[in-house]
Amino acid sequence: MTLSNTSGKADRPGFWGRLSGFGPYTALTEVLFASPRRQFLVLLILPVIWVFVTHLGPILQMLNVSLLTNYPPSPNKVPSYTLEHYGKFFTEGIFITPFIRTMVFSTVLTLTTLIIMYPVAYFLARHVPRNRQILFLMLLLIPFWVGEVVRIFAMMILLGNNGALNLALQWLGLTERPIPFMYTGFSLSAGIIYLTALYMLMPLYSALEKIPANFSEAAADLGAGPWTRFRRITLPLSLEGVSSGCTLVFLISTGVYATPVLLGGPSTTLFSEVIAGFFHVAGDQWPVGAAFAVIMLLSALAITGAFTQLMAHLAAKVKK
Amino acid sequence: MTRNTRILMQCIYWAFVLYLLVPLFLMMIMGFKDSKFIGFPIRSLTLDWYIGVFQDTQVLNAMGYSLVIALVSTAIALFMGSWIAVALTGRSFWGRAIILGLTLLPAVIPGVISAIAFRIAARVVGMEPGMWAIIWSHAIHNVPFVVLVVMARLSTLPKSYGEAARDLGADPIITFFRVTLPYLTPAMIGGGIFCMLLSFDDFVRSFFLGGYEPTLPVLIFAKLRSGMSPEINAISTIVLVLTALLGLWAERSMRGMSKRAAND
Repeated sequence: MTLSNTSGKADRPGFWGRLSGFGPYTALTEVLFASPRRQFLVLLILPVIWVFVTHLGPILQMLNVSLLTNYPPSPNKVPSYTLEHYGKFFTEGIFITPFIRTMVFSTVLTLTTLIIMYPVAYFLARHVPRNRQILFLMLLLIPFWVGEVVRIFAMMILLGNNGALNLALQWLGLTERPIPFMYTGFSLSAGIIYLTALYMLMPLYSALEKIPANFSEAAADLGAGPWTRFRRITLPLSLEGVSSGCTLVFLISTGVYATPVLLGGPSTTLFSEVIAGFFHVAGDQWPVGAAFAVIMLLSALAITGAFTQLMAHLAAKVKK
Repeated sequence: MTRNTRILMQCIYWAFVLYLLVPLFLMMIMGFKDSKFIGFPIRSLTLDWYIGVFQDTQVLNAMGYSLVIALVSTAIALFMGSWIAVALTGRSFWGRAIILGLTLLPAVIPGVISAIAFRIAARVVGMEPGMWAIIWSHAIHNVPFVVLVVMARLSTLPKSYGEAARDLGADPIITFFRVTLPYLTPAMIGGGIFCMLLSFDDFVRSFFLGGYEPTLPVLIFAKLRSGMSPEINAISTIVLVLTALLGLWAERSMRGMSKRAAND
């Protein structure tokens, strides 16, 4: 009696029963699953090939192209390896400014998002009754299912010169002429926070939700004030959420492309626009763009890596 | 927490809800405006823009194109993601951390860099920009999300289920299809819808890997750059309604899963 027989009638095996009695199939499974070790290899070989070829492969290709003198190869110019494209970044000042702007801007935005989202997450996790949390969360989730471009467009309608915000301000008498919000750092920040806030909210919410309420109550019984309770209990226990939320938001905001194109102006050019520029123009600029992309990727990963380490260090220190 | 901080937090929450919903609400309303110019005040209303969307073959084609890309890339991501999750769950071996790290890599690479890396890799292997290049990049980008959802679900599958099947004579393949896969279904539905949303909404990868035919977000972007018109509002509102419905469905599927897992 096998499991595969139990579903059908005893005398007429079902699909799986017939399959397990099918000669070529049993021969195949005997080869594939001869030993636990072989079973393991059969299961693992496709994932390993997939992640190395498709997940890591493109990044390595980008690295390779960034080191070539010219790409795509042309018959009269055989590419050789060089570091000149990386040198271009450091010697030509026009590229450093957008790079530094991107890094500073992303850092400031990440911290702003953290400061805005922490109370929201805390409120959701600790003050909204359990059975209504889904509803409160859903109100925040729905806008995030809409794509980047649609959300930016919605932002443009809000912030435009005859947009809703200006109309409201004029109606309230706070300003006579429309304030030019669009194509400034303000509109860009509002747009990026609109895109990334959820990635801060979710890790914070799940970290805060896990902290038992009686921890704070116990501390209160021992005489700790609200600020002490927050600083000594809630904040340290939510550091993991802070760490992953900040990492996600920082990485996303360094990589946004449509947002700075549509909401930013000449004074807010970000590095992603600079990189993309090398791939738009006709001509042989790909290696430079690839080199710049590698520089940005390494910097972004280094900053988030250092930040994660710092957070882990802090969390360990508090636990002692 | 004192009463005042609680009220303050409540205000921040509602202010944030307004910040998220008001722009989308305005966008919907503006699609009914009976004038070519976006902006207030709205003097009279019309349904023309919405009707126009369903007569505009360019928009309909882009919508169909995006949908095909979303479906195919999701199928690939579900297959690979589930396979990787099954291979990595409940096993410890040398190099597991490396494989897991590489699995999650596409999810953390900043968007524009990932798009450019795919563009370069497509050129290196001789893949023309177009539908397959977009599908391929979306599938890779979405695999990590499937892996995370399926792994979370698999970790709640009691080991005894598989052991019982083995004791009754089922081989690993039959055990997978008759025990593991049915248990994973809600996670795969939820993860799959999430992948479809990511693919349908994706701009940056479709923009860099696309050929002459635009996906819907790329078409909206192109229209936005050439000037705003209530037509874009109507298109965006339709997208908003479609994605919100899909998202709610995914959320329900996942919610049911965690409830059932709690009961198990």
